[in-house]
Amino acid sequence: MIPNNEPRTTNHAPLRLKAVSCEVFTREVCWAIARSPHEVDVEFLPKGLHDLGAARMFARVREVVERIDERPYDAIVMAYGLCNNGLAGLRARTIPLVLPRAHDCITLFLGSKERYLEQFNANPATYYLTSGWIERSAPNAQLSQFSIKEQAGMNMTREELVEKYGEDNADFLWEELVNHAKHYNRLGFIEMGVEPDGRFEAAAQARAGERQWRFEKLAGDLTLLRRLIDGEWNPEDFLVVPPAHRVVVRHDARIVDAEPVGDEA
Amino acid sequence: MARNQELYDAILAGKRKDVARIVQECVDAGADVQSLLNESMIPAMREMGDRFSRNEVFVPEMLIAARAMKAGLEILEPLLAAAGATPRAKVVIGTVKGDLHDIGKNLVAMMLRGAGYEVVDLGVDIEADRFAEAVEKEQAKILMLSALLTTTMQYMAEVAKRLADRPDVRIVIGGAPVTAEYAREIGVHGYGRDANDAVKIVDQLVGAA
Repeated sequence: MIPNNEPRTTNHAPLRLKAVSCEVFTREVCWAIARSPHEVDVEFLPKGLHDLGAARMFARVREVVERIDERPYDAIVMAYGLCNNGLAGLRARTIPLVLPRAHDCITLFLGSKERYLEQFNANPATYYLTSGWIERSAPNAQLSQFSIKEQAGMNMTREELVEKYGEDNADFLWEELVNHAKHYNRLGFIEMGVEPDGRFEAAAQARAGERQWRFEKLAGDLTLLRRLIDGEWNPEDFLVVPPAHRVVVRHDARIVDAEPVGDEA
Repeated sequence: MARNQELYDAILAGKRKDVARIVQECVDAGADVQSLLNESMIPAMREMGDRFSRNEVFVPEMLIAARAMKAGLEILEPLLAAAGATPRAKVVIGTVKGDLHDIGKNLVAMMLRGAGYEVVDLGVDIEADRFAEAVEKEQAKILMLSALLTTTMQYMAEVAKRLADRPDVRIVIGGAPVTAEYAREIGVHGYGRDANDAVKIVDQLVGAA
C-alpha cells in the first residue's frame, strides 16, 4: 500500500501521547508520528526482547512503561502485539494504556487481525520480513545472553556445534535446532511503502533464494499503526486499558482484555 | 545389579556411540537388560531432566542425551520385547494445526521414550481428527499437544472438544505460551512447564510416579 500522505484533521484538541514501540516498527511509527494530529513522544525498545520469553520480556516492557512520568500525557500507546504473552499483565496506572488487539507484529504490518489470520491459515509455512525485521536483526549483545534461542543453541553455527558437541552430535543438532528452512516454504516480504529504496526487497529476495523458499511480495497496510498513533481506537481493533486496570489474555477473537488491578499490585 | 556408572555417564554426556558400545557389551556379557534399563539408563535421563529444570543444562545437552539414550534403547528393545516386557504406556504426541514448531515436541517425545514409554509422534500441523484417529488406532491413553504461538494454542481447545467422547484419554499440553491456567480453562488433564515436567505429569497420569 502506498501511504496516504494527505494531512489528517481531528475534531478535538490534539492529545499528548507517549508511544512505546518495538524497534521493528521504527520506520512505520516515525511515519505515523510525523503525520499525526497529536503530539507524540516515542521510545523504541529492542526487537530482541521477543526472544527472552514472556516473563523476561514482560519485566523489561513493564519497567519502561512504569518509568514514564505520566503527568504530561493523555495516554500511553503500545506499538506491540501480544508478542507471545510478553505484554500480558501490563498495567495502566493513572492514564489509559492502549494496545492493538494483535497476536504479533505481522498483524500490525498487514493492517488487521482478520488479514493476518487469512494469510496465516492459507500459508502457515511463511517466513515474514519487513524493513524493520531486516535492519533490526543484528543480535543485541546485552540481551542475547538471556535469549531463549541462544540458550537452546538455535543461533549456533555448524562449526560451533562441532566444537562443543562433536561431529556426530553436531549434524543431529543442526537438523533439530538450527535448520529452520525445513519448516518454511515461502518468504513473504511485506512492503509498507515507507522503504527508501529497493534494498530491503532485494535482501528478502536473496534470503528466499538461499533457503529455497518461494518469494512473495505482500502489500503492507499502515492502518492499524496509523490509528494507534492518531488516537482512533475503535474497540474491535484496540484495547484501551483504563487506569488501575491491567492487560489479560483472552483465548478468543478479542486476544486481550482489561481487568481491574487487584490488591496484589 | 547396581548402576553401570560408565553407561550412566555416557548418557549424560550425550555420547551415542559409547552408549551403544557399553549396552552391547553388557548384553553380550549376559547382563539383565531390565535392570540395565531401570538402574542405569532411565536414572541417567531422569538426572538430565532435573538438571534441565534447574537450568544447569539446556536444550542441546538434553537432545544429545536423549539421542544417546535412544541408541541404547534400540539394542535393548527387541530383548525386552522377547522377555515379555511391555512399554509403560502408549503416548500420541503432535504439534497442533497451523503450528510448525517441533523442537519442544521432539524433545518431549525423546524424553518419554527415554522414560520407557511408547511414543507415536504425528509431527507438526496436525488437525483434531488426526489426533482422534491416532488415539483410536494406537489405543493410546495419553495425548500430548504442543503449540508455540498464541494464535495456534487456541486450537488445543478444538482437539480437547474432539476428544470429549473419550474421557479415558488424558490430554497434556505444553509450549511456550501455554499455561496451567489455560489447561484448566479448556478442561485438559495436564500441563507440562518444560520437557522434564511433561514426563513427570505423564508419570502421574499413568499412576507410575
